[in-house]
Formats: sequence, structure tokens, C-alpha cells
Amino acid sequence: MDSELLSGTFVELADTMVAEFDIIDFLHMLTDRSVALLAASAAGVVLADPRGELRVAAASSDAAGMAELFQIQNDQGPCLDCFRTGHPVTAADLADPGTPWPRFAVAATQTGFRAVEAVPMRLRDQVIGALNLFRATPGAFEPADLRIAQALADVATIGLLQERSLRRSETMAEQLQAALNSRVVIEQAKGKLAERLGTGMDEAFRMLRDHARNSNQRLTDVARDFVDSTSADFPT
Amino acid sequence: MMSASRATVLWGLVAEHAAAAGRRVTIGDVCAVAVASARASGGWVAAASGRGPDFVLYVTDPVSEQLAELQLLLGEGPSHDVLAAAAPVLGADLGDKESARRWPAFTAEARSTGATAVFVFPLMIGAIRSGIIGLYRSSPGPLSSQQLGDCLLLADTATVLLLESLDGGTAAADGNGHGTRPGGQSPGLAVHRVEIDQATGMLTEQLGVTAAEAFARLRAYAYARDRRLADVAGDIVARRLRLDPDPGQVGL
Repeated sequence: MDSELLSGTFVELADTMVAEFDIIDFLHMLTDRSVALLAASAAGVVLADPRGELRVAAASSDAAGMAELFQIQNDQGPCLDCFRTGHPVTAADLADPGTPWPRFAVAATQTGFRAVEAVPMRLRDQVIGALNLFRATPGAFEPADLRIAQALADVATIGLLQERSLRRSETMAEQLQAALNSRVVIEQAKGKLAERLGTGMDEAFRMLRDHARNSNQRLTDVARDFVDSTSADFPT
Repeated sequence: MMSASRATVLWGLVAEHAAAAGRRVTIGDVCAVAVASARASGGWVAAASGRGPDFVLYVTDPVSEQLAELQLLLGEGPSHDVLAAAAPVLGADLGDKESARRWPAFTAEARSTGATAVFVFPLMIGAIRSGIIGLYRSSPGPLSSQQLGDCLLLADTATVLLLESLDGGTAAADGNGHGTRPGGQSPGLAVHRVEIDQATGMLTEQLGVTAAEAFARLRAYAYARDRRLADVAGDIVARRLRLDPDPGQVGL
């Protein structure tokens, strides 16, 4: 474990919480740092929508197959089990024929993953989501890695509580819906920018995020203004 | 997770409510089912394209009408907040300090109508806004998690119905939904796919239209070809499919 990387990550996350705060930008940073810190290949934060669906709020990659991997977990997978039990769930080798999640295992291995870890995002006695970590090589995560993963999942929960809490008190249910809608706005903006510039979705996301940071605006505001705008320029 | 089936059950209730009145599904049927599901005393739907409600589309009773009109008149209240924050307002007790602080004028007026709890949901898909749906109760208390889930699913249905009615150029004061869809299929968004959002954004560029129109065109294209929305969206995101700017192509 690189302790400088670890301390740097927590300093960076804490810094984000006192600046113009955008929950999706924050969760995205958290998934990126989870990948770097925990030698993972990809990471995603999944939230439990009261509509009855697990929805991705942020993922470290838009690579083909990633969205499907999260979607399948509405039926089966370590993330669903983690959400239901409130405990971390490990899949040390998805090629193991005895896997309890055959459909998920096939999709995950096809996407290039052999091991998955899901750690719960808990708020008191409620599980509000999970942090998913994917690795390309089989093998269980080290206990030290799992402790860091849980700390990152806890920070993600705190981030959700933080969203707009300085303006007025709101319930977690309200915050969760705001976060999910923010994600939709950002995805719409990514699509618009990717189409305009002929780039991929990951590149479009980076451009939107960089513009938000450079202009000291919330990512969601930048994305909404861009989707609403009829101007041919970006940034608008 | 049971989202798709719950959405189907709720859509069945909406369709039943419309059939009992001997007409097509309207936004009013969705509102009535939301009132029943949430064990509310009444509800209202208002159209909105910006940061506040524009006009009232439907009310279930005189108190709802007063609540809806009050917010238009006062320019404050939970309907404004849900549009600004893109999140529901779950005001389980209008008698608490928080309500009085947030909406001083609205809270006092609302309580005089007999409403003691208000729950308001934005009718939104990302940057697309079509309105709000509000519910009130004459006794305080929060929504259960099942009631909250039902309200969110019904709000999705209402969003799509309103977009269809506005898009078809047939926007009626009662918010009639005239869009085409395969028989019995819920117009909700219960199974969420990120490709649908990305494709909507891509279509704003391909077609030179607003996000609301892009979403309507995406749906119209899928339904005209009897394909799943998520599959068509996936083709657009993978750049295997482009839509033609001529709307005649998709039979709108």
C-alpha cells in the first residue's frame, strides 16, 4: 500500500467537500482513486433507488460492457448480495464453476474481470448502496485493502449527505434522487459533447469535468447549461 | 429488485383508472393512482419548463387546487424547490420549523386549507423538465419506502406522458397523452439505462433539437419499429445508428 497515495486521496476528497460540491464529480473522483489505491481495474458506486433498482452513480470507466455489468446485478451478483446483507461480498475467481452468480460471472469475464469486491455504503441501519471493485486477475482482496475500500465507501456515503446540506436540511431520500438526476444530466451532456466533437464518452466526461473545475462551477450545472444551450460553442 | 414488475403493476392501475372513466390514459389517472398509492388526501400536476411551475394541469380536489394555485401566486413553495433542486421535497409535517423557514407564506396559507403534509416530485429526466406532481395529506407523517418508490415510478410515468402530449403538438389542458406505444407497455423509465441518456444527448446534436424533443424522437423511433428503447439507444451510442433530422422519417 502506497501510504502517500492514500493520504493524498483523503486530502483531495476532503478538499472537494469544502469547495463548490458536486456529488457526481466527487463520486467519480472516488472511483478513480479506488482503482489507483486498490490495484483494481475498474470501480463503480451503485446507489439503491427507492424505485427498486440499483443504479450506477459513478464509474471509473465507460468501457463497453461496464453498464451491463451493473445492470445484471439487479438480478444477481456480489453488489446485490452486498446491498441485501449489508456486508462486503467477495468473488475471488469468477471463472470458478461454482459461482453463485453465473450470468454475472460470464458477463464480467467477457468484460475482462476475474475478481470482484462489493463493500456496502451504510447510513445507520440502512444500506444505501455499494462500492464495486473489479480486478482483471483472480484472487481475494487483502484485508488491508478491504479496510480502505470500506473507508472509501463510507466517504461516498458522507458525500451524499453533504450534497447541498449547507443550504437546507433534506432527507437522504431527497439527496439520493438529486444525485441520480445529476448523473442523468451529466450523461446527456456527455452524449451531446461526444456527438459534437466525435469523441468517446470518457473523453467527453473529462472535458466537461475540466471545464467545471477551471471555471469553478459544479459539474452538474455545467452539464445542464450545456444540454440546454443552443449555442454551437463549448464551453458555452 | 422488483422495479420492472412494480412499474407494470402501477401502469395497470393507471390504465384501469382510465378505462373506468371510458377514455385514454391522462395525466389525471396517474395523479389519482399516486394519491391512492401514497394514501394521500389529494394531488395536483403542474406543467413547468423552467425553474417554477407554469400552469396547473390537473387537481383531484379543491384543496389540491388551492395548494397548486397558491404556489403559482406566491412564487414560493415545494413546487419551486423541486424544480430548482431536481429532487423531491418530502414535507412530512407543515407544522415543523423547517417548513415555516423554507416557505413562510406558503406554509401558513397551506395549513389554513387543512393540508399538514406535502410531497412534491419533479417530472424530470436529467435536464429535461416537464412539470411537477404534488400530493398532500390532512395528517402529518412521512411516506413509507414503498409509497416513496411508487410515487417515483408514477412521477416517471407522468413525465413521459406529459412529454408525449407536448411533443405531439396536441398538448391539452388536461395533459392528454397521445403518444404511440405498444399495447399495455408502461411509459415509465423503471429499468434505467445510461445509454438512453447518452443517446438523448447525442440526438440533440444529430437532429438540432432540445433534449425533450430528442428523447421524444428516440422513443418514437423505437416504437415505430417495435424495438426496445434501450436497444435503439445502444445502437446510437455505438454509432451504428443515426437518426434523420427529418421528423417525417419516424412518423411523429
